[in-house]
Amino acid sequence: MSIWEKAKTIDRRIIFLFMFLGVALPLLIRIGLPVSVTNDVKKVYDYIEGLEPGSIVLVSYDHDTGTLPEMLPMSDAILRHLFRNNIKVIGMALRAEGTGIGRQNIRRSGAEFGKIEGEDFVFLGFRPEITAAILGLGTSFERVFPKDDEGIPIRELPMMKDINNYGDIEMVISITDDDTPVYWVNYANARFKVKVVAGLTAVMATTFFPFIDSGQMVGMVAGLKGAAEYEKLIEKRGRAGRGMDAQSIAHLVMIGFIIIGNIAFIMRKRGK
Amino acid sequence: MDSGLICVSLFTSEGVGIWIASILTLAIYSFLYRDNPIYRFSESLLIGISVGFLLVTTFDTTLLPKAFEPVGKGIIGISESGGINSFAIFVWILIPVVLGFLMFTRFVPRYAWMSRVALALYIGFGAGASIPANMQSYILRQIDATIRPFLNIDSFWSLVNALIVLVGLISTLFYFFFSKEQKGAFGKITRLGTFYLMIFFGATFGYTVMARISLLIGRLTFLMKDWLGLIS
Repeated sequence: MSIWEKAKTIDRRIIFLFMFLGVALPLLIRIGLPVSVTNDVKKVYDYIEGLEPGSIVLVSYDHDTGTLPEMLPMSDAILRHLFRNNIKVIGMALRAEGTGIGRQNIRRSGAEFGKIEGEDFVFLGFRPEITAAILGLGTSFERVFPKDDEGIPIRELPMMKDINNYGDIEMVISITDDDTPVYWVNYANARFKVKVVAGLTAVMATTFFPFIDSGQMVGMVAGLKGAAEYEKLIEKRGRAGRGMDAQSIAHLVMIGFIIIGNIAFIMRKRGK
Repeated sequence: MDSGLICVSLFTSEGVGIWIASILTLAIYSFLYRDNPIYRFSESLLIGISVGFLLVTTFDTTLLPKAFEPVGKGIIGISESGGINSFAIFVWILIPVVLGFLMFTRFVPRYAWMSRVALALYIGFGAGASIPANMQSYILRQIDATIRPFLNIDSFWSLVNALIVLVGLISTLFYFFFSKEQKGAFGKITRLGTFYLMIFFGATFGYTVMARISLLIGRLTFLMKDWLGLIS
């Protein structure tokens, strides 16, 4: 059996082993490959940078725990930027699992900058039925979330006293692993003219490029790469920056296997 | 984490969680070797916990404050004041709650037809809200974004960029026109559309691979950092 015939029947577990090594070794031994900032991420950074201290931003956690490795670094980076610039944050979730994740993230990031819950940030909790929730917020935050996540009426929260609807906030950031930003664009941006930003899994990125070109979204932070770019912009290296070496090496391993597979295919074809 | 230990200590509240998460992560990854009962147990556990969490969260944050509490308050309001006003408020609250519960009649074949009332309203609301919104977002604004760049040409490359988008839009739309056989001049345009679609699929697949590797990076970082303490 020629080497190309053997390549055809290679055990998939060998490929998994190479992939494991391609990811694990760069995590242990730092290479420090450069990360370049793309325009879509820079737009988000610039927009937040341009907000006045005390502005209000709504961050919606619209994802499950399965995609946490991609979502958490970007959430951390964006929240750090918001709190560093003294921007107030309203947290909420349109997915049940996003409730625990969002609450924990906002509290942790808020504590990092000495922010006080109720004054500098709030977490309103979860609402099902995305369309109704997003449309309802355009009329009244209080109607959709009469109480916050802890059961405190939102009118009793100092930060929420003067916030009625989208007219009182600067932008919505949807941290999501599905097409929830489409709902934000459709109902919050199109109807109420609120600015929308998406923090997405890389899988969803290509769906949203047209929305940035058309001005329906300010920008987007896509995947671990987007999070690493954001970390670079805020000059605070975190989980995403650490993972970028592993990401690049894993891609090289995969490209290597694709090349080997194609050469094997051509050689076998010639041999017949 | 105790610096003298290789793994995180099992005898702390945080440590127990990390150990459970690590073992379950390895159990799921055991599928890469071959399908096995440990993998299937972990998968079932994940599904069960996710559904349980969704039910409890929905009950706690939606059903309780939006249905049960208002209905309860409505009943108390009627029994205390007994006025027509209290009754009107109670009925106003009761209508959506009853419609919601009608959905459950689907579990009883004899009364399943009743759920159609609620479903009809739900579909009506969904279609009414989404059709104009989608028309605006997916069609009108996208046509605008395709044409508008031609009004703001400031360099040769901005013209090239605008043309690439316009040609891509038209040729891809032609590809999805199935009432005419795709040959001749029409066929050439549709073939160009196919190339645009291939580029889109390639980009999407590339992003998908990147996303999946990101998830692996996340889990390996957790195992090597939080569990084994190999990464500082």
